[in-house]
Amino acid sequence: MQFRLEKRLEPSRLMLYATPIAAVLLTMVIGAVIFSLIGYDGIGAVREIFFTPLTNAFKWQDLGVKAAPLIIIGVGLSIAYRANVWNIGAEGQYVMGGLAATWVALSTYGMSGWWILPLMMLAGVIGGAAYAAIPALLKTRLGVNEILTSLMLTYASVQLVYYLVRAPWKDPMGMGFPQTRIFSEAARLPTIIPGTIVHMGVPIAVAVALIAWFVMSRSVFGYQMKVVGAAPHAARYGGFSENKTIWLAMLVSGGLAGMAGMLEVAGPFQRMVPGFPTNYGFTAIIVAFLGRLNPLGVIFAGIVMAITFVGGEVAQTSIGLSSSATGVFQAMMLFFLLAGDILVRYRIKRVAPAAEARA
Amino acid sequence: MTINRRTILKAGAAAAALPLLGSRAFAQGEPLKVGFMLIGTPNDNGWNFGHAQGAKFMKDTLGELVAEPTIVENVPEGPDCERVLRELAQSGHKLIFATSFGYGDYVIKVAQQFPDVKFEHATGYQRSDNVATYNARFHEGRAVCGTIAGHLSKTGKAGYIGSFPIPEVVMGINSFVLAARKINPAFEITPVYISTWNDPAKEADAARAMIDQGIDIIAQHTDGPAALQVAEERGIVGGFGQGADMSAFAPKAQLTSIIDHWGPTYVQSAQAVIDGNWASADRWPGLKEGEVQIGPYNESIPADVVAAAEAVKNGQIDGSFNIFTGPINDHTGAEKVPAGVTLTDAELLSMDWYVEGVNPPA
Amino acid sequence: MTPELIIAIIVTVVGASTPILIAATGELVVEKAGVLNLGVEGMMLVGAIAAFITLFLTGNHYLAIALAAAAGVATSLIFGFLTLSLSANQTATGLALTIFGTGFSALAGQGYSARPVTLLGPLFPAEIATHPVWRVLFGYSALVYFSLAMVIAVWWFLKKTRAGLILRAVGENDLSAHSIGYSVVGVRYAAVAFGGAMAGIAGACFPLLLTPQWAERMTAGRGWIAVALVVFASWKPFRLLAGAYLFGLVMTMELYAKAGGGPLSVIPSELWAALPYLVTIAVLVLISIRRDASSNAPACLGRPFLPSN
Repeated sequence: MQFRLEKRLEPSRLMLYATPIAAVLLTMVIGAVIFSLIGYDGIGAVREIFFTPLTNAFKWQDLGVKAAPLIIIGVGLSIAYRANVWNIGAEGQYVMGGLAATWVALSTYGMSGWWILPLMMLAGVIGGAAYAAIPALLKTRLGVNEILTSLMLTYASVQLVYYLVRAPWKDPMGMGFPQTRIFSEAARLPTIIPGTIVHMGVPIAVAVALIAWFVMSRSVFGYQMKVVGAAPHAARYGGFSENKTIWLAMLVSGGLAGMAGMLEVAGPFQRMVPGFPTNYGFTAIIVAFLGRLNPLGVIFAGIVMAITFVGGEVAQTSIGLSSSATGVFQAMMLFFLLAGDILVRYRIKRVAPAAEARA
Repeated sequence: MTINRRTILKAGAAAAALPLLGSRAFAQGEPLKVGFMLIGTPNDNGWNFGHAQGAKFMKDTLGELVAEPTIVENVPEGPDCERVLRELAQSGHKLIFATSFGYGDYVIKVAQQFPDVKFEHATGYQRSDNVATYNARFHEGRAVCGTIAGHLSKTGKAGYIGSFPIPEVVMGINSFVLAARKINPAFEITPVYISTWNDPAKEADAARAMIDQGIDIIAQHTDGPAALQVAEERGIVGGFGQGADMSAFAPKAQLTSIIDHWGPTYVQSAQAVIDGNWASADRWPGLKEGEVQIGPYNESIPADVVAAAEAVKNGQIDGSFNIFTGPINDHTGAEKVPAGVTLTDAELLSMDWYVEGVNPPA
Repeated sequence: MTPELIIAIIVTVVGASTPILIAATGELVVEKAGVLNLGVEGMMLVGAIAAFITLFLTGNHYLAIALAAAAGVATSLIFGFLTLSLSANQTATGLALTIFGTGFSALAGQGYSARPVTLLGPLFPAEIATHPVWRVLFGYSALVYFSLAMVIAVWWFLKKTRAGLILRAVGENDLSAHSIGYSVVGVRYAAVAFGGAMAGIAGACFPLLLTPQWAERMTAGRGWIAVALVVFASWKPFRLLAGAYLFGLVMTMELYAKAGGGPLSVIPSELWAALPYLVTIAVLVLISIRRDASSNAPACLGRPFLPSN
């Protein structure tokens, strides 16, 4: 008995919603079994990683703050990926957005005024978009693969952070430690719910996702992105420029990554430190795919990822599960989620061995 | 060790008065829950290992008075650590040790939300009512190592692998060179900063690069035994273990080691919380208090050199010797500290200049 | 600079280059088959811990290399199953594989960090391996000669054999290769497994060749340098060899310059660290300018194979 995949005429709606849930459930069951077998508290691990962050109301603020940058970057990436533009350098664009915002914050140090935060936001978006413009330019002018250039630029940007905080931007009062000074009050994001750490970035993330969903499903822009991505030849007949799409996709995804960078540095960090590149840009790639490249799905995926991060720490404090074990849990969930993707587009059919003669 | 039962009850009542903050445990008479937040994992043979050993020492010493210590590992220096701090405080930990410099901002922030929880921040400088800072005078151990290096080095050149040029590292380098130059006035040292705390392959290559250019003593201020292993492989005079005894990795090359012994300070703090007399302070103990220890000397070291090293060690323990007493020249040869003057702690904690004998890195 | 110092630098550069060369040789074959596996770093870590544990328990260096390769293959097959059998996105799966490898290796390595092992010694007899001059050619362990042999073998395989031709065809145009009757998925599985074996051996280089210990995340980003190297070499094996030594030189010259003083020591270490990536972008630009638009990149790189049956 063998199995064979058969393409669905239309992506399955049922599977679209059912597979992520099945993947998470499967991770819990298999994870609990494997970790119990190798001598850990498998059931406790599942409880602490997946449920405590949801059942403990004190953790909700953490989920929001952790998910916000993932959602903002993930939405931008899902737009680019829909258009078949493979920007995987969002981490670098996030970093450059954060650096640009830091530059504004340090230049306006000691000043006050409502205009500082919007200016930082503008700088962050421009910084991220400008860094994404490099792969866009190389792709449209020279045909250089954007996967590779955007990845290489990410590593260069991380070194730029290290350099800036160690030398020109170093906090004069920081005892020589490599970090900038704490931004002045006007350059820090206020919290929006008193007594919590929830900052402006959280509603912004939701707004970004909703706007992106509306634009992608209702506007000519969204239609153009999807057509170019799905059928480049047809798009050309329809008068859509492929180069223009690449530019748009890179600038939107880079700009959103830069915005996330600004929100992170002005919100939770409040200064630039060597630890600023926290892999949000890479994690957001996974978030974009988990969200099925749909801005609303990205919200869900961002929250799921945030749960595993927050839950991983809970599991360390409550049952002493090591951080490496939570990494394995997270990877396992990603594997199942990615595997489940195929059921959306294909159905599994049983075939007799004789029918398997095609290859 | 006397235990005051009434103060335990008092601490428990204080915890119960703050249900809003989600304190689950710490009912009357329950053992004190102590949390530790580490930047890496206890498997690094160095910095984090030392703190985990300290946690274990605390538990072994105080027994039933404290719960099994909670250790959260691989916590990045950033907003993630704020979440971990809150998680620890909410889950009933009344004493939390944050063991990396970059946690500072967040310790201060979370401490404001949990006034009944005591926080202690290693290597930091920001304090508040319920935030203390602590560190260890590793540079005292460096002076012992430098004395050995001054005696044993044939080329008069040593290499020093550092992570970042922060005061803690700079004062270690200076202490090492000052001690070595008391023996060999021509002694010099070249620091190489590798911009990472843990990249063993890069540490090993840095050690190779220095040995190839004529050094025969190596010291490092990064986690792990990589540089010592290269010293062993190349057969140079030797090097020094950092944070823990690393003789298993380099039985011939490790001349001695500086061992971090955080245990007593952790016992002291936990006891103070239990007794209800914990107070915010800056603690900076060293050899005298046993927080910094010198490991066993290698058998290959001649007896007179061991005696000289012990003299430096004992001098620092009884207070008759301080490595940072002038005259001290900076690397250009200009006098920085006049004869008879000793650098203050504040001056040490912001040290950003090198003494004579250091080839300063660009 | 004395001749002795130059020889010493070469010896260090060869050591630093070998793991990235081995990993990149594997990734080159993977990419030539049209698959982009970004999980190199994760597979290297799994290889490193497999090699370390084997060596610690048995003391046999060659068994350690073999099991590191096997562990690398096993890890790569997770990627292969998801991307080839289930056509999951390669970029996302590769990143997930790195998360997995990092976590799994740390989990497996608990309790092994305070344990010393020994390096793999030179392949040739001591008289020649430690000779002050000849050690520059004969002073290395088998892993170094293996890396050179694999470059030649991969070049020969891709250029001169029928199987290599098929592999390249699968990477250039999977649909026509499929229609001629080649098993696209089968060829890609083989390539991914080969890449996994090489990444595993590259990981084994860390405890066996560079620093005889286990430390979590001890590959410290060199898997990503290997990915960059493949691009830098524009998918050509001999350029890969030259590029690996160039990258190794960049990585170690920083340390020699700082330890020895001199004009190069003023370059900030961050620029040294960024250099391999910046140079790779420059090379990508150059090859694109020279050969209008069509660079050497396999045409199907990173795209899932979806025959419309």
